[in-house]
Amino acid sequence: MDLFLFYLRKLFTIIKKEVFVLPSRIVVVLFFILLLLLPVFTKDLYLLRIFTLTSIFAILAASWDLLSGFTGQMNFGHALFFGVGAYSAALLNKYAGIPPWGTIPLGALGAVLSGLIIGIPCLRLRGTYLALTTLAFPIILMGIVFALPDLTGGELGISGIARLAGSRVTDYYITVVVMLGLCTIMWKITDSNTGIIFHAIREDELAVRASGINTTRYKLLAFCLSGFFAGISGGLYAHFMRIAGPSTLEVSMSFQVVIWAIFGGIVTIYGPVGAVFILFPLLEFLRFWQELRMLMFAVVVLLILLYMPDGLFRWLRDKIEKECPRCKIRNVAMRHTCRVCTAQLD
Amino acid sequence: MERWEKRIFILAMVFLFAVSTFTVASGQDTIKIGVIGPMQFVQGIGQWNGATMAAEEINAKGGIQVGNKKMKIQLIKADSNEFINPTDATNAMERLITRDKVDFIVGGFRTEAVMPMQDIAMEAKKIFFGVGAAHDELCLRVAKNYNTYKYWFRGSPFNSTFLVRTSFVHLGTVGAILKQSLNLPKIKVAIVAEKAMWADPMIPAAEAVIPKMGMEVVGVWRPSDKATDVTAELSAIQRSEAHIIFTIFSASVGITFARQAGELKIPAMQVGINVEAQKDGFWEATQKMGNYVFTMNTYARNVEQNELTKPFVDTYIKRFGETPAYTADTYAVIVHRLAPAIEKVGSLDADKLVAFIENDVSKGPSGTVAYLKDAEGRHTHDQKWGPGYLTSVGVQWQDGKLVGVWPNKWKATPEAPEITYKGVMPVKIPPWMIEKYKK
Repeated sequence: MDLFLFYLRKLFTIIKKEVFVLPSRIVVVLFFILLLLLPVFTKDLYLLRIFTLTSIFAILAASWDLLSGFTGQMNFGHALFFGVGAYSAALLNKYAGIPPWGTIPLGALGAVLSGLIIGIPCLRLRGTYLALTTLAFPIILMGIVFALPDLTGGELGISGIARLAGSRVTDYYITVVVMLGLCTIMWKITDSNTGIIFHAIREDELAVRASGINTTRYKLLAFCLSGFFAGISGGLYAHFMRIAGPSTLEVSMSFQVVIWAIFGGIVTIYGPVGAVFILFPLLEFLRFWQELRMLMFAVVVLLILLYMPDGLFRWLRDKIEKECPRCKIRNVAMRHTCRVCTAQLD
Repeated sequence: MERWEKRIFILAMVFLFAVSTFTVASGQDTIKIGVIGPMQFVQGIGQWNGATMAAEEINAKGGIQVGNKKMKIQLIKADSNEFINPTDATNAMERLITRDKVDFIVGGFRTEAVMPMQDIAMEAKKIFFGVGAAHDELCLRVAKNYNTYKYWFRGSPFNSTFLVRTSFVHLGTVGAILKQSLNLPKIKVAIVAEKAMWADPMIPAAEAVIPKMGMEVVGVWRPSDKATDVTAELSAIQRSEAHIIFTIFSASVGITFARQAGELKIPAMQVGINVEAQKDGFWEATQKMGNYVFTMNTYARNVEQNELTKPFVDTYIKRFGETPAYTADTYAVIVHRLAPAIEKVGSLDADKLVAFIENDVSKGPSGTVAYLKDAEGRHTHDQKWGPGYLTSVGVQWQDGKLVGVWPNKWKATPEAPEITYKGVMPVKIPPWMIEKYKK
C-alpha cells in the first residue's frame, strides 16, 4: 500500500511539475484522455469509424515524419509501406488463416523488408532524386499486384478478410491505443540519441560522417522504422476495412501523407498526428456542402500553409510557449523569466 | 439593439433552426433512400438524376403505399468520392446508414470501393442496389454467404461476363453484315484495348472467342487510356488490313481514336465498347469524325426495349438534356423494383423485401429483370441476360445522330425467336470501306 502511495505521489509530482507547466503538454494529456473516453460518451458508429480511421492514418503520417521530417530522407512513395502492410496482412489472413493480432505485426515486418529493399538503392540519392525514386516504388508494386491477380485479387484487391475485432468500440480502442502507443514510441525515438543522429543527418550529413557515425546504417534504420510503423497502420487499415486494394498504393495516398505532415508541422511527430485529427474529420464535416467539399478542404490547407508555413501546431505552440534563449527549455508565453534558469525571456 | 435583445434574437433563431431541422429529421412518413456515388463525375450525376426523377414521379402520385399509409420518398445524396479515395466512400456509406438513417441505398461505382460499402450495408441489414459496378464478384458473395450478403442486389448494368458476351454478339453481327455486303471471304479483326486494368482480362477472352466465330485476329494494340495521338496504332491497323476494329475503351482515348480513324478514313468498322461514344457530346468531341462508330449502350433515343423505355428516355432528355446512361437506372430500381416490392409486401422490413425481390420478375425501361441462381441453385441476386430480359442496345453514330442498330432480327440461338427493338435502324458501313472492298 505504501509503495502504491509512493508511486501515486510520484505520478502526481510529475504531472504537477512536468505536465502542468506547459500548455502543450496539458493539451496532449487532454487529447489522450478525450480519445480514450470518447466511446463512454457516444456509441455513434459513424463517429467511431471516423476516429478509428483517423488514428490509423495518424500512425502513417507520424511514420512519414520520422523518415522524411527528422532524417530528411524525402519519401514521396510512403504508400508503399502502407500498401505492403495492408497486402501482407490480408494475404496472411486469407491464405494462412493467421488472426489480425498476428498478421498486423507480420505485415509490418513485410513493410520493414520493403524499407530495406528501397532503402539500399535509394541511399545513394538525395533531395529531389530520392523523392522521385521513392515515388516509383508503390507504382512498381501496383504493377506487380495487377500482374498477379490470382494472388492479389488484381483491381478488386483482397476482400473478405477477418475483422479487426467484434465490435466498433473494440476496433476503436485497439486502433487508438496502438496509435497512442506507437506515436509515443516514435516521439521517444526522436528524443533519443538515435533521434539526434537522424536530425543531424538531415542538417548536415557530411558533418555526421566526419564525426565517425555510419550514416548509411542510420538512414537504413530510419527507412526500416518508418516502414514498420506505416506497415502497422496498413495492417490495421486492411483489417478494419476488410479489404486491401490497389488504392492503398496509389500516388494520392502518398501525397495525402505529405499534406498531413506539412499541415501539422514536420519534425515534430505531434504535428502530423494533430493534422490528421483535424483534416480527416474536417473532410467529413464538410459533407454538408458536398459540391464544394474538396475545394473548401483545399482552401483550408492552402490558407494554413500560406500563413503558417511551419505548420499549424508549430505556429500554435510558438504562440502559447516560448523557448528560453539560454537553456532552451520551453516556458508559458506569459512568463517573463525562464522556469528553470530564470533567464529573461523577452 | 440592446445586448439582451440581441441575445433573445439569436436564441430565437437557433430555436427556429433546431425546430425546423428536427421536423425534417423526425418525419415518419417518408422512405429514405440514400443515393451514393461519385457525385462530381458523370457517373454519380447520372445516379442522382435517375433517383431524382424516380422520387418526383412517385411523390407526385402521393408516395408509396406501405400497408395502410402512403409514404413519400426522401432522397439523401452521398458523394462517395470513390474514384479518388475508397475510404471516403465507406465513410459516406456509414454516414448514410447511421446518421441519415436511410431505409435503402442505391449506387456505388468502383468495385474496390463498392465491396467495403457492401460490407457496411450488409452489416446494417440495409438493402443495397448496386447501380454502376459490373464485377461478377459482388453477386458471387451473395451465393457464397447468403445470410450476410442477401441484402445486395444488382441494379445496373448486368455483370461483366454478360457485358463481354454482348460485345461479342455485336462483333458477330457486324462481321456477318460486312461479309455479306462486301463479299469478304474472312473477316479480319484488330483488337484495340486501352491500357487499363478492366480491359486486361477481355483481351485473352477476345483472342480466344474471335477465331471460334470464324474471324481472324490480326493483332492487339494497347494505346494509353488518355492517348492524344494514336496514328501509329491506326497505321499499323490499316497495314494489317483489318475489317473490324474491336474497341475496348472507357476513357478519353475513345474520342482520340474515333477522331483520328475518321480523319484517316481507316477502312474498318469500329465495334465494341467505347464509353465516350455513348455520350451525346461525342459527335462534337470528335469534330464530326466519329461517324459509324458502334458501341454498346443501355438506352438510345427512339429505341424502345418495351413500352416503358420511351416515356423514361424522353422525360430524362427533357429534364436533363441528355440521353440517360446506365447509372441513371437508379430510376428503374426505385420505380420498378423497390416501390412495387414495398407495396406488395406492405412493409419496409428488409428480410421480407429480400424474399420478395429475389423471386420477382419486374419490367423496367431497359428490359425485364429477373434474378439468377447459380449452378447449385443458390441465389446470386445477379440479373438475367438475354432475349426477353436485359440485352442492352447497340448504337451507331450515323451522320451526327446516335442511332439504335441492335438487336435487329437477332437470334440468341438458332432455335430462339428473332428479336428486334422498336426504332432500330440498319447498321451503316463507312462509304470509304465500301469503296475499298466492294468490287
